[in-house]
Amino acid sequence: MKISALIFLVLLFAAFSYFMARQKITTAYRQHKSKHKILTLPKYFGYVAALCSLLPALLVLLFLQIVEEPYINSEISTFISASNIEANQDLDLYLNEIKGADTPEKVAALSEEKQMVYQRYHEIEQTTARTISVVVLAISILLAIWGLRKININTPARKVFEKIIEGILLLAASIAIMTTVGIVFSVLFESTRFFGEVPILSFMFGTEWSPQTAIRADQVGSSAAFGAVPLFVGTMLISFIALLVSVPLGLMSAIYLSEYASRSIRSVAKPVLEILAGIPTVVYGFFAALTVAPFIRGLGESMGLSVASESALAAGLVMGIMIIPFVSSLSDDVLSAVPQSLREGSLGLGATRSETIVKVLIPAALPGIVGGVLLAASRAIGETMIVVMAAGLAANLTVNPLEAVTTVTVQIVTLLTGDQEFDSAKTLAAFALGLMLFITTLILNVIALHVVRKYREQYE
Amino acid sequence: MNEAVMNELAEPIMKKSSGPETEESLNIEYGETVGQPFCEQAKIKTKNVNVFYADNQAIHDISLDIGSHEVIALIGPSGCGKSTYLRTLNRMNDTIDICRVEGQILLDDEDIYHKKQDPVLLRARVGMVFQKPNPFPKSIYDNVAYGPRIHGLTRNKAELDDLVEASLTKAGLFDEVKDRLHAPGTGLSGGQQQRLCIARTIAVQPEVILMDEPASALDPIATAKIEELINELKENFTIVIVTHSMQQAARVSQRTAYFHMGRLIEVGDTDQIFTNPAHELTEKYITGRFG
Repeated sequence: MKISALIFLVLLFAAFSYFMARQKITTAYRQHKSKHKILTLPKYFGYVAALCSLLPALLVLLFLQIVEEPYINSEISTFISASNIEANQDLDLYLNEIKGADTPEKVAALSEEKQMVYQRYHEIEQTTARTISVVVLAISILLAIWGLRKININTPARKVFEKIIEGILLLAASIAIMTTVGIVFSVLFESTRFFGEVPILSFMFGTEWSPQTAIRADQVGSSAAFGAVPLFVGTMLISFIALLVSVPLGLMSAIYLSEYASRSIRSVAKPVLEILAGIPTVVYGFFAALTVAPFIRGLGESMGLSVASESALAAGLVMGIMIIPFVSSLSDDVLSAVPQSLREGSLGLGATRSETIVKVLIPAALPGIVGGVLLAASRAIGETMIVVMAAGLAANLTVNPLEAVTTVTVQIVTLLTGDQEFDSAKTLAAFALGLMLFITTLILNVIALHVVRKYREQYE
Repeated sequence: MNEAVMNELAEPIMKKSSGPETEESLNIEYGETVGQPFCEQAKIKTKNVNVFYADNQAIHDISLDIGSHEVIALIGPSGCGKSTYLRTLNRMNDTIDICRVEGQILLDDEDIYHKKQDPVLLRARVGMVFQKPNPFPKSIYDNVAYGPRIHGLTRNKAELDDLVEASLTKAGLFDEVKDRLHAPGTGLSGGQQQRLCIARTIAVQPEVILMDEPASALDPIATAKIEELINELKENFTIVIVTHSMQQAARVSQRTAYFHMGRLIEVGDTDQIFTNPAHELTEKYITGRFG
């Protein structure tokens, strides 16, 4: 039986169970004159009965699905070794060939030996599928019947339902957390493999980045130097330029919107500003590469400066525009949340509006503002597309914003695109870079948290 | 609970709001203000003031003088316009977009709504204390030093220290906080916070202090301290206080003005208002028949 059909049947039994239980309790209420006026609604008994059959059945199905494939594989390997067929290739490849034969033509094309294995495989697969269906349906039906018999008006249905809901919510939360933990561990694991090939110190403090490894021994120009410093300097340079643009502009527009703008201007300006965040970064990218970068180059040359046609400045400026909404929207929200009484208190002492903003509102709203800046910073650090298009790929170690630089994320992309062996140092370097990036943003977060805790002025 | 019970419960509340003692049933005609709205040594003179919120008129044609170094109490039922009137005196209503003020308000015979008048300077001369204590989320010292700093009232740190100490002392708070001047002002108790706000206002050395129900969020002991403080402050300042408590008005003020539905009904010496009110509405209010 197909999995989808199986799930449908299980759901059907659960629905049946729900209606039966609800009916049973409704009838019981009618016959039983209770001294309490407030009773648990019959639908809760229905939910409990339905979930009582549904959840175990689904869990068992999930478990069986997971163990199904290893089981079939081990069975078929036993068969192969028992019947003395020579699997003279890799066993995995052999099995793949047999499993891949899903049309009669392909089956006919297999050798006689393989056809025999194919037959056996097919039998095993069918029995397993049948067993799974029977087990799951049996659990579902038996539990539905058991639940319906057991449930009565004294069942604490409301309480049980709350517990189940709590469990489901916990599950949802833990999936997100587990995913994060999983990503961290996979990156960590691959990174240690990389550090087995390239010493960690030469990665962290090396100043030359040229990840082309030599395929042939006589190849020239493939030095395979993995010094990450130029990448991190490039990332920091571009992010710094971006923040230099977005923090003042974003903060000032937030102040205008929350303190000066009339309601009608605000209702138009705020959504328009937020649209900036919705423009795809590719669009910003070609805007940066085709408009801003040549403009900066022309401007620089007219002043007698030598400017690369792809410069950190161009990428940083455009990125700064892109992340304005992250700063302004969050800052606007927290500034608006500062109680009106503080504003009036300051104005009542003869302070001007700008004095009030600088001395009272911004300190009070500082945690939220820093939060917005952090969000913007992490967007800037993680941004790839604009940098690829406007800042180039050359890993120059420089803090001159007029030169081409590259960033960590851009290099991760170039390392992993194209045909690569997955266990070469070049590919693994991407994981090491990812790990470093992760640690950097983590440190940034910790610092910001500390700053906020030290300087915040807490109202209420 | 069935409907009949609900109605029964709701009834007394409804009686209060739409019972027999409303101005329709009293059949009052609003005429001239009763009593003596004008005085000889006026600090603030208001003439024919009307205030509108968009199309709603909140204040109708109020003329009232506020004498120099007197404490005048504004009383009246909720929504009668006394707070709105108070806030016109230092142009605090300017912060509300839809608010519009007509008429003339003179501070020492200068029109405070004149085009050339800077509301910021005006507010330094006419300070304000609010209903809910609103200390800034800064240290006690910085709260008091806020006004002097923005107005450049002191030349050096020592002078500022002295001014802060003097203001806190005048507000009767210095002894309680002298060991923790750099602790946050928000960490004080409600009554202390309100006295801190008064100290903050005094530090700017205003001529008039407006108080919008300064004790309504405080317990009786803290309230008594605030009232005591008001009695001391009237030596140096002119004080206008809005209050819901008639006992408080009787205790702290020399004159009392009774507001009703955006109109000034009666003004007079506090003793006379509370013992022998001239207007029927005033009498009904102070005897607790509505409000």
